[in-house]
Amino acid sequence: MRPELLVRPASLADLWKALPALPRDRRYLAGGTDLMIAAGHGHAGDCWVDISGLKELKSFRETSSSIFIGSGLTIAELAEKPAVKKWLPALALCAPHYASPSLRNMATIGGNAANGSPCADGVCALLSEKAEIVLGLKGAKRKMPLHSFFLAPKRTALKKDELILGFEVPKWRHVSAYEKLGPRSYFGISKVTVCVSAEISGGLVKEAVIACASVAPVPLLARKAAEFLYGRRLDEGTVSEAAALAESEASPITDTRSEAGYRKAMVRVLASRALSKLAA
Amino acid sequence: MKKKAAGKFQLDCSVNGARVRREIAASRTMLEFLREDLGLKGTKEGCGEGECGACLILLDGRAVNSCLMMAAQAHGREIVTIEGIKGRDGGLHPIQKTFMEEGAVQCGFCIPGIIVAAEALLRRKPDATLEDIKLELTGNLCRCTGYEKILSAVELSRDELKKKGKR
Repeated sequence: MRPELLVRPASLADLWKALPALPRDRRYLAGGTDLMIAAGHGHAGDCWVDISGLKELKSFRETSSSIFIGSGLTIAELAEKPAVKKWLPALALCAPHYASPSLRNMATIGGNAANGSPCADGVCALLSEKAEIVLGLKGAKRKMPLHSFFLAPKRTALKKDELILGFEVPKWRHVSAYEKLGPRSYFGISKVTVCVSAEISGGLVKEAVIACASVAPVPLLARKAAEFLYGRRLDEGTVSEAAALAESEASPITDTRSEAGYRKAMVRVLASRALSKLAA
Repeated sequence: MKKKAAGKFQLDCSVNGARVRREIAASRTMLEFLREDLGLKGTKEGCGEGECGACLILLDGRAVNSCLMMAAQAHGREIVTIEGIKGRDGGLHPIQKTFMEEGAVQCGFCIPGIIVAAEALLRRKPDATLEDIKLELTGNLCRCTGYEKILSAVELSRDELKKKGKR
């Protein structure tokens, strides 16, 4: 059910001022592509606070050492930015596989995280790029590694009324590979996704981050596999051993989209494909 | 804060080039607003969940699913529906003509959404390749045509628009 009450603050200051007078069971409405569907299936709050018009959440800032992505930017807006292509290759690779073109024009990167789904495409890409998430509540701001933001399926670290302001991603010289298995090549929710970002210097892995979606209660970092890669050359043996480690770290379930055993096996296949691409 | 009495919203936006100012129910989706409040029935409801693309409209020039959008979110913005996609003479748009000539329409229910998607693509990328067209239409389902004629109609529209500078 969509609520009877919808408010549309003109600024963040306006938003914090308005909250105390609103019904307690309230939700933020950003791109709407998850919330509207939730509302079609049941109760989705007594009041929606539409943050889609807030310019403050659309900021995109580049410093010498990091990139800040406003939570209100849509996937399409991000995919078009030259700085994303240059510094966030995983996010750029993920974009064509993120829902459909029209949904990418609506869905925001903040909403992708706020929804708390273990299968979120944008989250998986940002995780591999070592993103931190920036949260705001009235005047207070806090920042945490993106992986600590996810507590359980559909549960995040967000406190009541707290808002995702954006993501801060360090600039590091990495290459990425994004491997997603869905029901079809494009526009499907992932059965399994493995996204690898790595800095390779002189043929050796200096640092690697392996993020996996849809294979654990939360978006997963395959840490053992990533650590194993440190200082190694991405030859066939290394790739296959790292892929096996990644598989051992996954704990998927069987649900409407796929089966646990298949998902687990596919982590190895996709990790091996991704690492082979980086080696090439 | 753009809010009136509880349950109401004062919407001010542009629809097909005309300014629209009205008080609407805050719970209205954009699709309901267009079809029921404005009587623009060209925009269709298929799945109601963003899977089929029958409800596509242009929001500030970008294709969006009007079934997943609240009408209030259009405040201060520009909407173009299939009714607003016209040729320069006010008649059929070249994409619409090509769809007719190619026989790319069977039951027709999905076509407004597909034409909106094609228009969004060809505005942004006048040289779109067949691969670009296929990717752009991943969010549009058609259960009649098998897509072949739709794809060739969009390719022909692209050639036609480029050749005659019909924009």
